[in-house]
Amino acid sequence: MPGSLDTHLVTAVDGVAFGVLLFTIALGLSLVFGVMDILNLAHGALYLGGAYLAVSFVGDGGSIGAFALACLVAVVVGALAGGGLAAVTRPVAARGHLDQALLTLGIAFVVSDLYSEVHGNDVESVEPPAGLDGGVTLLGSQYPGYRLFVIAVGAVLALGAWYAVERTKAGALVRAAVADAPMVRALGVNTTVLVTGVFAVGAALVVLGGVLGAPILSASPGLDTRVLILGLVVVVIGGLGSVPGAVVGALVIGQVEALGVELLPTWAPFLTFGAMALVLLLRPAGILASGRAA
Amino acid sequence: MRRLRKPTIAALTGLAAAALVSGCGGGSLGGGDSDDGGGGGDTATPVRLGLVVPTSGVYAPLGEDMKQGFELYLAQHGQKLGGHAVELEVVDEGATPATGVAATQRLLQGDVNAVVGIVNSATALGVRDAFDEAKIPLIVANAGADAITGAKKSDFVWRTSFSNGQVAAALGPQAAQTCTKGAFLVAADYAAGKEATAGFRQTFTAAGGKVVGSVFPPFGTTTNYQPFLAQIRQSGADCAYSFFAGAEAVAFTKQYAQFGLKDTVKLYSSGFLTEGGVLKGAGAAAAGIETSLHYSDQLDTPANKAFVGEYQAKFGESPTVYAVQTYDAAHVLDDAFKTGIDGPAVVKGLQGISSVDSPRGTWRFDDGHGPQQTYYLRRVDQGAGGLVNTVVQPLSGA
Repeated sequence: MPGSLDTHLVTAVDGVAFGVLLFTIALGLSLVFGVMDILNLAHGALYLGGAYLAVSFVGDGGSIGAFALACLVAVVVGALAGGGLAAVTRPVAARGHLDQALLTLGIAFVVSDLYSEVHGNDVESVEPPAGLDGGVTLLGSQYPGYRLFVIAVGAVLALGAWYAVERTKAGALVRAAVADAPMVRALGVNTTVLVTGVFAVGAALVVLGGVLGAPILSASPGLDTRVLILGLVVVVIGGLGSVPGAVVGALVIGQVEALGVELLPTWAPFLTFGAMALVLLLRPAGILASGRAA
Repeated sequence: MRRLRKPTIAALTGLAAAALVSGCGGGSLGGGDSDDGGGGGDTATPVRLGLVVPTSGVYAPLGEDMKQGFELYLAQHGQKLGGHAVELEVVDEGATPATGVAATQRLLQGDVNAVVGIVNSATALGVRDAFDEAKIPLIVANAGADAITGAKKSDFVWRTSFSNGQVAAALGPQAAQTCTKGAFLVAADYAAGKEATAGFRQTFTAAGGKVVGSVFPPFGTTTNYQPFLAQIRQSGADCAYSFFAGAEAVAFTKQYAQFGLKDTVKLYSSGFLTEGGVLKGAGAAAAGIETSLHYSDQLDTPANKAFVGEYQAKFGESPTVYAVQTYDAAHVLDDAFKTGIDGPAVVKGLQGISSVDSPRGTWRFDDGHGPQQTYYLRRVDQGAGGLVNTVVQPLSGA
């Protein structure tokens, strides 16, 4: 569709905002899969939990303080949930992906029903916190300022994650475990602590993503499944177990969903999975693979 | 004792399984002799009704409203329809046609006099033949596919809700008066969206309007409407007509405002965009949107005021169009059961209904067994307890 360059640039910016949300979802999934080879299908339910947290704390436009509090609670709750998931999946960690998938999917169903019990089945939307809810003029069109805020937060999170994984000792252990987990165990590292830590950080990040994304994606039953599928696609495209992989995959899918849909609207339903199919054909381990194929 | 040989074990297992399955296959309603007499005088026989509505999944809020509408009518009439006591079974339609068709067919295998409900058009179209062959009446209380009362109509399938094309078509002439530079059509990419935009386009262009473009965001997976909103802005239209329901309606309405289109491109829509929980979800972003629908709880008629009052007293919330549709379904069954309670007698009873006095106004069945009714132009305004759909005027011609 013909459109001015300005419009396309705005759409590209929007694709980055969406990519940030995808990054928060995908990083935890990717690290857990990369480090422990555990398929965690309860990840989407964690995101939805963050979204409902935002509904409870901020609802119809709360203050920045309430929003910050929601973010803090999200991180704590996420870390606890991640630790819980690590403990629960330990028995099936060695039993292969099918068992892990069944267990975590079951947890996802139960949690999702609990959300419906507490919040009902209607779509709960969240207004951006006061101060971030204005529109800015971006290249001649109005653009929600909150999405620019999300991009900024995402940059900070990505940098922080990259630093933690690439420049700290704990991060080195994580990278080592992605490359060769049995060797790490043989060297005497307490892998239980490592696994719990990775789960906790990944879960904290995705619950935080849920809070950040609530003003954009709202909270409703079924959102957890949609988010999980997108997260899995990002992990497949970006490669397992690395921060740059999650960033690249998230940005790619973010652009596919934004710019791709604008330029090729008739092909829109096929674009995301088409991109995944293309990557699987050309680079089966992902664009920035650092370990084995997903 | 000699050990059984393997084929024997397999055969015995198969036999046991078959016995179990046939035992379960009787249907949860159990067997009762069907009432062949058909006479209206035998009011001692209770009628068994199935209510197929979503109680789980993305359409659950609609299912809840529909159940409440039906329950209100029963409560107002002593749990009787046509003089017969009602045995109601509520069955979960689920979120997809797979679950809906399976649930409805399970009802048909039991002993049921009529079935009411169905939100999903694909489900309704999927079970149409089953009802036609079983000669059991189905009162569709929501599914809006044009074909249900059009190309695929049946003596045994009746509808008290709407058809997608007609609701949208009612808005065309009205929009043609305001959309001087042209209208852009945007709707979710599924049958309902396609039928609604086609209906709108037909009456809009017939009234002199110009359609400058259309786009159909993928159904059920689109969360970001920015690329489509950019197209609307680029097209130079001064109006847009949209069709979305449920979570998509909330997302679209909010983003329409966030990206600055609310004040520059006037938004028209079929009323589902601003009905029920969706309006609450969209919040201030929905203010000022004008829609067409066959009901609003703000309708200022004695019949509606009484209905709204009783509904609010019983359920603590205001009724939606979904509740009224099932309320009317109970009403038409109440009339029809007076003729008889077996399939063909009920159909005769339905055919004999000359008009229905409903909270939405007076309506009657047309040739396709769907409602011929008034559609209202509604606008979202700030009311006493929040946002409401005020009725601006009745729309002429559908």
